[in-house]
Amino acid sequence: MARVVKKAPSVCTDLPLGNTDICTKLHLLRQLLRSCFGPTGRLKQIHNNIGGYVVTTSTSSVLLPAISSSQPFVNMLKTSILNHVSRFSDCGLFAAILCLTLIDQANRAALKRNVAIKVNKHLLGLCTSYLQREDCGCKVKLDFSSSQNMITLARSIISSKPACVLTEPETLHISKLTVQAFLLTIPCDMPGIVSLGKTVTVSVEGYSVLDSAVFPGLLLNITDTFCISKADHLHSTPLIVVVFSVSLAGDLSELGDGIIQVHQGADTDSQILNQLLEVGKQVVKDEVKLFVCQKVIHPVLQQYLKSNGIIVVERLGVTLMEPLIQLTGAQPVASLHTTIPAKAYGKVRDLSIRQFGSQTMLHLHSPGESVVCTMVLCHRNETMLSELKVVCQKTEHVLRLTLREPSALLGGGCTETHLAAYVRHESKNEVAQTASVLGCSQMEYLLGMEGFCRSLESVATALEHNGGNSLIDLTHAHHWTLPADVVKDQMADNFGLCGCGLVGSSPSKKWTYLNTQYTELSPALLPRDNVMQPCVLDSFAAKLNALQVAVETANLALDVTYIIQDVN
Amino acid sequence: KKHVLQTVCALEAVVLRSFGPDGGQVLFIRDTAEAMLSRSGSRILTALRLEHPLARMVVECVWKHSTVTGDGSKTFVLLLASLLRMIHTTVCKDPTVSHTCNSRKAAEAALARRLADELLAFVLEDLDDLITVGVVPYGCCVSWEDFTAKTQSPVHTNNHHVQKLLASFFHTRLGYTHCDFISNLACELFASWKFKNDTPALSLQFVNDNFPALHTPVSGFPIDCSRLIEGQIIHRDFATPCPQTENQPVKAVIFTGYLESELLRAGEVLEVGCGEQVMEENSSMKQSIVQFSAWAERSLEWVIADLQSLGVSVLLFAVKQSPAVLALATQAEMCVVECISEDELSLFAQLSGSMPVSDFWMIQPEHVASLAFCRPVLLGAHRYVHVAFHDLEEKVMVKPCSLVICAPGEGQTDQYACAFRDAIRMLLTAWEPLGMTAHTASKRTCSNASPFQQRVLEPGCVIPAGGTFELLLHHTLRQHSRSRSVSDNTNMSLPAVSQLLAKALLCVPQRIYSYKHKTNPVQNCSTKECPLQDSKLSMHYCGQAHMSSNFFLIQYDLLFRQQFTNTFQSNDHTITHFCTMLPLKHR
Repeated sequence: MARVVKKAPSVCTDLPLGNTDICTKLHLLRQLLRSCFGPTGRLKQIHNNIGGYVVTTSTSSVLLPAISSSQPFVNMLKTSILNHVSRFSDCGLFAAILCLTLIDQANRAALKRNVAIKVNKHLLGLCTSYLQREDCGCKVKLDFSSSQNMITLARSIISSKPACVLTEPETLHISKLTVQAFLLTIPCDMPGIVSLGKTVTVSVEGYSVLDSAVFPGLLLNITDTFCISKADHLHSTPLIVVVFSVSLAGDLSELGDGIIQVHQGADTDSQILNQLLEVGKQVVKDEVKLFVCQKVIHPVLQQYLKSNGIIVVERLGVTLMEPLIQLTGAQPVASLHTTIPAKAYGKVRDLSIRQFGSQTMLHLHSPGESVVCTMVLCHRNETMLSELKVVCQKTEHVLRLTLREPSALLGGGCTETHLAAYVRHESKNEVAQTASVLGCSQMEYLLGMEGFCRSLESVATALEHNGGNSLIDLTHAHHWTLPADVVKDQMADNFGLCGCGLVGSSPSKKWTYLNTQYTELSPALLPRDNVMQPCVLDSFAAKLNALQVAVETANLALDVTYIIQDVN
Repeated sequence: KKHVLQTVCALEAVVLRSFGPDGGQVLFIRDTAEAMLSRSGSRILTALRLEHPLARMVVECVWKHSTVTGDGSKTFVLLLASLLRMIHTTVCKDPTVSHTCNSRKAAEAALARRLADELLAFVLEDLDDLITVGVVPYGCCVSWEDFTAKTQSPVHTNNHHVQKLLASFFHTRLGYTHCDFISNLACELFASWKFKNDTPALSLQFVNDNFPALHTPVSGFPIDCSRLIEGQIIHRDFATPCPQTENQPVKAVIFTGYLESELLRAGEVLEVGCGEQVMEENSSMKQSIVQFSAWAERSLEWVIADLQSLGVSVLLFAVKQSPAVLALATQAEMCVVECISEDELSLFAQLSGSMPVSDFWMIQPEHVASLAFCRPVLLGAHRYVHVAFHDLEEKVMVKPCSLVICAPGEGQTDQYACAFRDAIRMLLTAWEPLGMTAHTASKRTCSNASPFQQRVLEPGCVIPAGGTFELLLHHTLRQHSRSRSVSDNTNMSLPAVSQLLAKALLCVPQRIYSYKHKTNPVQNCSTKECPLQDSKLSMHYCGQAHMSSNFFLIQYDLLFRQQFTNTFQSNDHTITHFCTMLPLKHR
């Protein structure tokens, strides 16, 4: 019986950003996320009170869903960031830290809500138009003729996830593999609309990371190797493949709601089995060598097929169907009663067995050019392996994004400091006009601008976790870090390179600590003939979107003046 | 009495945070932990789980009001609160009440009741004429042609009224930062959906009715990524490998049911014998189960072959199909889209001019729609089907397009979609023919008898935003009461009531300018006894406060009358309620 429960009245919070409880929570969240940021970020272990397994991570896409807060404000920020991450797979922590710092800065400057929002919006426009300019000082054009920049981009993403626990050579190996897999999924000569292929990831636990590999074609897990061991002669010609998408277990297909009346003596089971064997006969007649079914195959049919020298793979699952169809060119068969048309058959060039630990895989090669590849990832234990799998998928996504926008941004905090310097320089020039356009006083505008730049710089400083200091050089406005035990004057000897590795230190350079007042400078462009290659790169599309989402979310948070919470 | 006032003031306090150009957002968390963002008064108020019966009733009135007009719900609450305060103070000051000491409370209640009744009578009788005389001359008319004119000549200065009207609407609904961008987008949307030979209301009504099918929320992107896309988006993915060919035109057929005949309907009995023997006995009823399903498959093949002969390559279904249908369609190189919602299918049928097929044995050429293209489109996390109709522009003179609303979170995309819908509703009321208006307020006694009003007030009348309406009406009311008190001294109550209303009206501009300390037009007007010329000055003041360019709607005739009738109904009601409660207390 339904009980009528009296609904509790809603809980209301007026002016949430003035509320100390909410501010403390936001501050806490910011500290938490800052500590995860970058390649030297600290790991977080997530476990709940009632058991369940422990996750070790520093990735925003794993960490943020695990943070559950009763505070609606925190949840609002969380969903924005997670939405960004699910579209772009990168720069989630960047967006979250920037957003939280912007809120904090606006709160601390005690700016009027509307003024802070307008100034942020204006400066965001300044940043995005600068980043999209051809002569932007922190953008690198990606060159697809050499894989160097792409490997750098992949390596920056993989190395920023310390929970994978990779050594330097391992990181490089995985980066190369992801770039290789990415390149394998791009079709070479296809006219019209290009559709990218698919990378299937197989994870194998307990092996060294350096054993990971990428194979063109598809690897299918098989249970018994019995029938294939004698099938060495399969290497010669293209082999015919048939793919079934319906169950071949001999069950009745859905007929409707009516009643089925079975007469005495009628054996439906054997009738259906006979029908299945009819299919088997046709397949044998058509010289099929590989028989794949998405669902279960009746053991009798299996036995029949195997005895005729056909390799049988059952229970493929729906996820592998698409790459298999793409690879073989087969059309899935769903009818048992009509003869299988010739064009439904697919082809495979080569079959071989590959052994990874306890897993036996059947390796299918495409007859023509293949856009399907399989990535076998190995790692020492399950937690690291699951993190590595997530990271590789993200990296592949980021690499795909570069196809649409073939550029990357300097990593290592250099983009942030550079942008901050640019914004300071640009906005100082036209304070009066901008302030009148935005309808605020010049003082307010400068305060808002300072908060915005500080927020950007504070993201760069979040990269340092070992007590070192963050500095900015006064010519190119790149980001440098200084170990804790070194003072500023010995800089020229101690610095090797800036955060992204594009600028080397020289005695003529001047530095200043970040988050101190420094004389405003116009960041100089690097000379065209710069021999240095950047060693840390960030995805352009992801970072640009992260910047926009962070500022918009911060603006939204600043704009919330009332919270109504239904606590039923 | 105080009780009523307190309740309404509590509601006012909630609404006030998001009122006016400087208002903020209200974040509402549902019991399902979903977040909703809003600045719309009616959404905020309905989101509150109120216990107080009176508050519930007020919210009900607000909600009814805003479903018709799409706007003005916060003003409704503010005015209601202000009026109640005015009545309260008048009653407290009234000398006749304080003299009769024996039942002071009863006398207060009676006086309040009387004031409310008089106010209602006054509003019903005189307010329309007063608005027509005192406010409408300061408004200007926005015609529907502004939309199309704007797209043709963007530099034409005279035609920005609709855009401004929308901009000021979105400003109060979404905030300052994106109001221009969104209002431009809305103008583009309306312009491309304008049927050349129809009235504006019909086109708007069409967009309003089909809005769920016409917009796609996409989260994870900045708001600036919102855009219009040519053609229609069907919010489903292809169930089979999607088409790679670029041949035109693409032919599509809509099915409302299953392609495969339902083999055994409920109640029917299939008798299954054993295969071979049955054949010998030649009983058609007793065949093996295998033969039965073979027959079913063959019938499906015939349907597919039928479709192939018509050149169809896209099948759109309202329901999920069996794997056999998908496999056969794939083999016939057709692509299948399943589970399309009814709204989207009906929009598609309307735009393509084709009929949905209900009986798959009877597929005729008129069921076949011809499309410019049909391809997958990736919007956010989902892949959808994107179709375009190629000969529509000549046929019905409309350029179909759908709206993609981007925002960082779902709460925001919802908010933007709601704002769009309310904007359409607001425009619809702005152009509502006046006959309808008079009809809605059926309580009015003199509406049909006043040809004066019919002549002056045209549909699409707007006046500058920023409290101009309230200020103008304030002056008109004061003038009116002065002239009445001079002309006849018999009825003293009427000027009193209109004075009361005039004072109450001032609360709206006061709230709007409460953030700006520089010039307060309200003070300027209320202290001086300014004639109408001065109110022009006050409009000017408003202009200095960055508002003159924004035009606020005044289909206000309807809006306002409704506001007042509702207000007074509720007011009246509450006071009656209160009076019936009173004796109980005293018992």
